[in-house]
Amino acid sequence: MPYHEFKCSRCIPERKQHAVFKGKGETITDALPLGYLNTIPGSISERGCAYCGAKHVIGTPMKDVIHLSHGPIGCTYDTWQTKRYISDNDNFQIKYTFATDMKEKHIVFGAEKQLKQCIVEAFKACPHIKRMSIYQTCASALIGDDIEAIAQEVMDEMPDVDIFVCNSPGFGGPSQSGGHHKINIAWINQKVGTVEPDLLSDYVINYVGEYNIQGDQEVMIDFFNRMGVQVLATFTGNGRYDDLRAMHKAHLNVLECARSAEYICNELRKRYGTPRLDIDGFGFEPLGSSLRKVGLFFGIEDRAQAIIDEETARWKPELDWYKARLTGRKVCLWPGGSKLWHWAHVIHDEMGMDVVSVYTKFGHQGDMEKGISRCEEGALAIDDPNELEGLEAMETLTPDIIFTGKRPGEVAKKIRVPYLNAHAYHNGPWKGWEGWVRFARDIYNAVYSPIHRLALLDIGKDEIPTDKGFETQRMLSDADLPDEVRNDPVLREYTGKYNCLKDLRKKTYPPFERNVLAEAV
Amino acid sequence: MSGSMQDKIAQLENYIMKKCLWQFHSRTWDRKRQNERILGMTRQLLLGEPVSTETPEERCYWVDAVTMAEAFKVRCPWLADMSREEIAGLMDGLYERIDFLTVTGSLNQELNDQHY
Repeated sequence: MPYHEFKCSRCIPERKQHAVFKGKGETITDALPLGYLNTIPGSISERGCAYCGAKHVIGTPMKDVIHLSHGPIGCTYDTWQTKRYISDNDNFQIKYTFATDMKEKHIVFGAEKQLKQCIVEAFKACPHIKRMSIYQTCASALIGDDIEAIAQEVMDEMPDVDIFVCNSPGFGGPSQSGGHHKINIAWINQKVGTVEPDLLSDYVINYVGEYNIQGDQEVMIDFFNRMGVQVLATFTGNGRYDDLRAMHKAHLNVLECARSAEYICNELRKRYGTPRLDIDGFGFEPLGSSLRKVGLFFGIEDRAQAIIDEETARWKPELDWYKARLTGRKVCLWPGGSKLWHWAHVIHDEMGMDVVSVYTKFGHQGDMEKGISRCEEGALAIDDPNELEGLEAMETLTPDIIFTGKRPGEVAKKIRVPYLNAHAYHNGPWKGWEGWVRFARDIYNAVYSPIHRLALLDIGKDEIPTDKGFETQRMLSDADLPDEVRNDPVLREYTGKYNCLKDLRKKTYPPFERNVLAEAV
Repeated sequence: MSGSMQDKIAQLENYIMKKCLWQFHSRTWDRKRQNERILGMTRQLLLGEPVSTETPEERCYWVDAVTMAEAFKVRCPWLADMSREEIAGLMDGLYERIDFLTVTGSLNQELNDQHY
């Protein structure tokens, strides 16, 4: 029986259906963890709420917007300086966070007046920002404040502003995934189709499910620009509010994180006939294949191939330097949702690492189908693990590193397992060819950091060696490498810049081609 | 490489399940459509038959199909030694297998949700 029972969860028997070992020759039709269900009482989940999924994941990466939480100030705490979805407008959306500061008196008497006052005050405080998203919270949902009516009142009084209302209270789903769904549908219902854009190219896409973590979106936009493809809107990383209102005019929706944004792609396909192309943006081969697919769609695949050839030649020797040193290292791939399947196969194929476990905090069974299909046999797949299960898995699987969020990551450190932040990254961007090498470098730095050797020693019981001197990562990583690999003249460590976005932001591109197709007809 | 038809289907299945995403849309009706259109076009491409790419929808299916057909040819050199009838049989078997893995045999309880 492939279902796995954690010793620590024997007192919660329902948990057994949420963990599966991928056995030899077994497929996703033999066993699949349950998913996207309410967390079982007694299990300390690592999930976020539906408000968090709507606002903190999808809404707030929009860069030219005042993001206002209508609720207690605590609901908005996580937005300030804890997210890394940067933007090229001086990170307005990260620097400033807004809440209506609901208190007990508002619960009793209502908070609509307070809301209106806060909206007006926020626009006055930021006169260069004319767009706002308001996020309902548990408190404002339970008292029934009519946020749409207040927003409309303000828009009537201030005709130069536009306001989007997202009703996704914390209790609106089993996890943050419920919020992803709600904000997708709210956006297409309220805003898509309300702006007619300037189409500058014959090749126009929406780039969907990309949140510009440490600049990922900007890296990808560079590739699309080099191909002559206009990215009309990015949903939502580094995205502009009004561009996202014009999503209906793109020729193709290129979907990266299907977990958080497939809903809007599906709706755009239904309502406007725009096809949905699912892609992988991580790893040399998957990214190359993805760009080539976009190129094929428009008949410009040669442009994608030119990028693939150039980037591969530049960065492959560096990726292979890290691969030689990471091969056989065990990793628990424990992100939130989509990265378990974006990374499961490619860190094995391109970095030589063995994925011993995949988990998802808020993924659905569809995400597990993808992740389990892509990881190797023997991996343990866990849905919505609790902290004790995570500890037990690390103790039994003995990974060299885990990729996860900051909360479980800190738990891992306590048992001396290094972790990389799978949500916000360490030294990103991690997309693009260069980004993938930066990811490999971060893994290498974590796995071979001498600090972990020191941390493994418990001064309370272990003998502290006094005959060993200074150790470096290189001494640790190269100790068992054959000479021909250690001294390979082709392979080299990362040679990119500390900030690889700086030059990207200054880059200029030739004008897009427009009406070439129409003239040809 | 020689081997039984089942082995050959398994090799193609492995490529799809590891490298592709199109087969995992979120609802039964959607998966059926994806499987039918993309695998159908891949079959046509491998048999050298014309494929319609008139509409954006068709073109999007074709993009995945053409990528897959190229990958199959590179990874499975034995395809070149197969007759048209054998390739047709292979692709029919693959279609049946992918439909089983993603639809009829799937344990995903959300597949039949009425809403997207």
